[in-house]
Amino acid sequence: MAFQTRRKYCFFKENNITDVDYKDTKLLKRFTNDNGKIMPRRVTGTSAKMHRKVVSAIKRARIIGLMPFVDNGSE
Amino acid sequence: MKYYEMLYIVNPNFERKKIDDIIKEIDTRLSKTKSKIINHVVWGKKKLAYPMKEHKYGTYVMLHYNGGEKSALDEFNSWLKLSDLVIRHMIVRLENEPDKIEKADSDLNIESEKKESSINEEKKLNDNEEETTEKTKGVE
Repeated sequence: MAFQTRRKYCFFKENNITDVDYKDTKLLKRFTNDNGKIMPRRVTGTSAKMHRKVVSAIKRARIIGLMPFVDNGSE
Repeated sequence: MKYYEMLYIVNPNFERKKIDDIIKEIDTRLSKTKSKIINHVVWGKKKLAYPMKEHKYGTYVMLHYNGGEKSALDEFNSWLKLSDLVIRHMIVRLENEPDKIEKADSDLNIESEKKESSINEEKKLNDNEEETTEKTKGVE
């Protein structure tokens, strides 16, 4: 078949992670696009419970300057 | 008694002595609220994701404490907001007790983090190569 659907899976369930720390920007960057926007759950495949934690962690990281609100590459 | 974590950004042009003075002042202020200080560690200089108060870089300092009186803690929060010691600060409530960090270790951690990041960048590059090969296979 020409189009094989890739199975989506929850990243946290796969790696047995239960807590998200706002200081862990390396992990949180997985859930933002190049502009720094938070990607929707239908794209990342995260479970609803963990997505809520990811969102709050990203927002905290933004406040303290660890992650960008908008990243359009102009510096 | 609740556990809190505070992360704050100090002016990057300050020297170690001045940062130590700021840490001491925050410690004395916090002790007035009858809180127990668990960790107070300098994270190191980092590039900010966006400029704050015309600063592009900032020295991050992390503080863990066991909260005392609530009204006194609110006062401490508003005092820090008004003072010029700190560019920005954020207090977060922790669910579990934080681990104790030894001061000597924390300084080493910053260096090791840098090394790790450089290694990871190399890994990322390799990963990308693998992905591209996979994609080409799919096309075939």
